[in-house]
Amino acid sequence: MVDSVFLALSVLTIGSAIVALEIRSLIYGSIALMLTLSGVAGFFLLLDAPFVAMFQLSVYVGSIAVLILFTVMLVRRDLIFNKVEDKRRRYAGIGLMIVLMLGIGTIIIGSGLKTMDTHSSAVDYKKIGEDFLTYYSPALIVMALILASSIIGAMTLARREDVINDQRAD
Amino acid sequence: MSTIAPQFRLSRFIASLFDLIFWVLLIFSLVGLPIVFIVLFYIKLPVINGQFMTPYLALTWMADPSRTLPIVKSFMHTTIFRVMAFPGFGFAALLAAATIFVERKFLAKIQLRVGPLYCGKIEGILQLMGDGFKLMSKEIIIPAKADKPIFWVGPLLFVGTAGAFVSLIPVAPGWVVANPNVGLLAVFAVIGFFPIIAVLTAWAANSKWTFIGGLRALHQMVAFEIPLILSLLGVVILSGSLNLSNIVESQEHFWWITFLPIGAIVFFITILAELERVPFDLPEAESEIVAGWLTEFSGMMYGLIQLGTYLKLYAFAGLFTVLFLGGWNGPMVWPPFPQDIITHGITIGPVTAKFPGLPLFDQDMLNGTLWFVIKTVGVILLILLPRGVFPRVRIDMILHTGWYKLIGLAFVNIFIALGLLYAGVLGPGGLLH
Repeated sequence: MVDSVFLALSVLTIGSAIVALEIRSLIYGSIALMLTLSGVAGFFLLLDAPFVAMFQLSVYVGSIAVLILFTVMLVRRDLIFNKVEDKRRRYAGIGLMIVLMLGIGTIIIGSGLKTMDTHSSAVDYKKIGEDFLTYYSPALIVMALILASSIIGAMTLARREDVINDQRAD
Repeated sequence: MSTIAPQFRLSRFIASLFDLIFWVLLIFSLVGLPIVFIVLFYIKLPVINGQFMTPYLALTWMADPSRTLPIVKSFMHTTIFRVMAFPGFGFAALLAAATIFVERKFLAKIQLRVGPLYCGKIEGILQLMGDGFKLMSKEIIIPAKADKPIFWVGPLLFVGTAGAFVSLIPVAPGWVVANPNVGLLAVFAVIGFFPIIAVLTAWAANSKWTFIGGLRALHQMVAFEIPLILSLLGVVILSGSLNLSNIVESQEHFWWITFLPIGAIVFFITILAELERVPFDLPEAESEIVAGWLTEFSGMMYGLIQLGTYLKLYAFAGLFTVLFLGGWNGPMVWPPFPQDIITHGITIGPVTAKFPGLPLFDQDMLNGTLWFVIKTVGVILLILLPRGVFPRVRIDMILHTGWYKLIGLAFVNIFIALGLLYAGVLGPGGLLH
């Protein structure tokens, strides 16, 4: 059962990733990207990590894919994309990907991941939270600072000076 | 002169009938019977009254009403019943259909009209059924330059997503379709799909009204998702769980609305915006952009979108009930099942009929469902009320409210929850817990 689900998810994820790269229509490409990201969420569910899976769905599919869709729909594509058709580039990309996958695969197989215990119970999300607030608290603080600074930066960039005060909504 | 069948011959007609019967028998024996056997091989059949249930036995028992009840009872504890009937789709669709009718009458009464009146003699009670038949019999028109695959799939995806949302709402103790440990996060994940479907179908219809409506829907929903998520964090902090059933159980003594009224108000406003209801109904503003992103839908496709919208409304109202109004908690008002019938059976004159397995639902479940439905209907009426009262708001006002005021209020709510938690009043191990 799990094996067949894994196979189906792999086919869905990789297939829609290829479709997202290759298809002409940008809208269908972004839909295929959404499918890829949902497939990754399915892998997380298979790995007994529903917490990560739900965040994958709500952040990647619910926000980032929407952002891509929004951009694709609002921007005229002639302005931002110019077609460069080059067969050799594609083959170079495929070759680079195969080399990368082989390298990462040998590293993973050689790292002793095979001896991992696959029958352990799923990690509770409360444990993740406790770890974040105790052992990994410096990382949490650094992440919070990065996010806060990026939000402040975005607000500064998005602020408009040319709007007259009467037009503001408040 | 034209006739319906110019060269009609009875012998040919009878021959064609035999032909038909032959093919039906052949296909049934070659395809139908194997399918039946494969299905019977894989379906897990229950053991009832010490007897292994086979389809043959089930059909025999169905003829005897006193033996039907155990079968019905065992069916009610299967997953398929939960998905299709009680806490799942059937129950929600029933409430959603009632909501559509009540909304029309309710708005009419607010505006001193009569509303639906003639269909079904009594206060137009059959109007909804008539509308449903009308929608089913109408032609489905696809715009010529529409993107057909997305346009066809859109309404189905919308209903499916709304159904997934419904399946997460616990109705009574133990009666919920899906009960994941991270239920609230699953709700957030499901909510995130609605703007995608809206904007994709709006784009696929290839019309300016739908596209404007879809962009408005996207703006509005994405903007209000953030205060929605933030306003619910207070509840999570105080109840110490993301599981919706556990959150309901944590409100046995106090509803969270008593401690987190700001969060409840923020959540209610975001519900209105997520549901595209007045005063935030810009994505389908009738007087400006025809019907917004629903403009090009016709026939049953529009019917599916309507069904999905009202399922979503029920799910949001149920979520409000679960998170802030104590869910199924309430005083026990449901009368217990009479013991006489269980022990002695029903006696009518000289005949005594015994019904094994009679209390189909236990008292807790019925009482919980009663309170849940009462509270949810109250929240639904509160959601319907602004439609008769308020005008539509401008888009920049909506976004301003969402991004500035509601997020600020949601943070105030989180700080209140944190204060209550660190003061040791509430939360896990608190004074009042």
